[in-house]
Amino acid sequence: MKPLLMIKKKGVYGSLQDQGRYGYRAYGIPLSGPMDKVSFQAAQYILSNDKNQTSFEIFVGGFEFEALNEGTYVLTGAKCKCLLNDVPVEMWKTFHLAKGDILSIKSVSLGSIVYLTPKGGFQIEPILGSGSYFPLGNLGDAINEGSVIFGQKSKTLRFTRGLYAPFRPTFKTSITVRIFKGPHFDLFTDESQHQFLNIPFQFSGGNRMGYYLKGAALQLKESKDILSEATQFGTIQVPQSGEPIVLMADAQTVGGYPIIATIHEDDLHKVAQMRMFNTINFVLMEE
Amino acid sequence: MIDFPTTMWISQHTIRFAFHEEISQENFLVVQKFNRFLKKMLQQNLVESVASYHTVTAYIKQKIDLDFLQEHWLWMQVSPTVDDVTNRQLQIPVCYDEEFALDMYRVMDYTGLSYEEIKKIHMSKLYSVYLIGFLPGFPYLGELDRELFVPRLKKPRNSVFASSVGIGGIQTGIYPLDSPGGWNIIGKTPLNLFDVHREDTFIFSLGDQVQFYEITKQEFIEIKSKGV
Repeated sequence: MKPLLMIKKKGVYGSLQDQGRYGYRAYGIPLSGPMDKVSFQAAQYILSNDKNQTSFEIFVGGFEFEALNEGTYVLTGAKCKCLLNDVPVEMWKTFHLAKGDILSIKSVSLGSIVYLTPKGGFQIEPILGSGSYFPLGNLGDAINEGSVIFGQKSKTLRFTRGLYAPFRPTFKTSITVRIFKGPHFDLFTDESQHQFLNIPFQFSGGNRMGYYLKGAALQLKESKDILSEATQFGTIQVPQSGEPIVLMADAQTVGGYPIIATIHEDDLHKVAQMRMFNTINFVLMEE
Repeated sequence: MIDFPTTMWISQHTIRFAFHEEISQENFLVVQKFNRFLKKMLQQNLVESVASYHTVTAYIKQKIDLDFLQEHWLWMQVSPTVDDVTNRQLQIPVCYDEEFALDMYRVMDYTGLSYEEIKKIHMSKLYSVYLIGFLPGFPYLGELDRELFVPRLKKPRNSVFASSVGIGGIQTGIYPLDSPGGWNIIGKTPLNLFDVHREDTFIFSLGDQVQFYEITKQEFIEIKSKGV
């Protein structure tokens, strides 16, 4: 283990994430793991890392790092302005940091989440089988100004590796995602069911636990108490306000709000990368 | 004879099995039985499962043959089997001291019961851990005596201290961590419900039987200082 980076400036939110914490949902511990699995996995692939290595997940930029040792890295995810000693770095391509180098993740222009990954991954003491940070359960360490993150000794790549532009995911301001009907879909009025499937909703903020959507207020045929049951990343709950909440990677394991639908797992990365005023449309999967 | 639950695909790797929609001991036993059945039948294909009051949600690696499951569920019920219920009984100390029982006056007001009566009724029952969730290790214990039914707070507290014991509707529970919460707080246990540095990370498991007993403030401090 060796110190890799020191946080010089802290942005909106950043956390270390590996593939997630499996096997504890029955005890109330969420899965966690990356919000945008596609960009996360692309990073491991580009670096020839093991699938379950740890990346630093950054929301909308604002972070500055100082390299404490040399290392090979890649930046993936949202379109972002990144500078290495004030010179722009290309995303989706490996680059090298030497001791003393300053890496800044500036503002994000398309999408919202960026992954910074070193060759060999960041090193963190796993808790309950995972290094993913879950603040509500005090699992893992918060990253603050002055924090040092560690990596492991790894062979440097001999060549620059990356994804050609046509293979890089793109992030749109308006997305369409596939859904499965939820267990309480039929409890909603016909009009609400129709609105849900035909009118776009607008992203209005959120965090790793859930994304709030604005749009038609969805209503139940009759107000009815729902018994709490299992939820997951992609569950769309409708609280009393009628405006849907999409549960994200740190989703609580059970919930008591009516579940109108669940988003197809392969479309979750698109949802994760939504930002203010982006819109989302839901299409029902054929049964 | 327990009918096979209704099934629903929640997503491509998640399937939900639902029994009759109610909170009851019977339902709880059925759900637990089905959860064990799934673990046995699906083996390596099952990543994990979450059992609730009337559903079992299974997170799986690949599609399963529901007809096959159904057939075995019926077969299991006509053939004699030994049920592997772990019947743990846990005694949990609670200090109902005024300092910890933030909502005792509200509960007294709503129920018309005295402080002594509320404690006595709360301790009189053996509760089952029906569900764990909301927070790491948060046990939903049921069912609470009808006399103690009090609605949740209109506006949840921004922070409820870890180890606080609360009641809300038909349930009672204990907050494992400092967190926002809307249950009526009537006491606090000196036990630490969730500790990743302890061999038993979680105190409670689904299906445990739990009974509360009263301790004084002095005893609370003593147990707490031993760091259980």
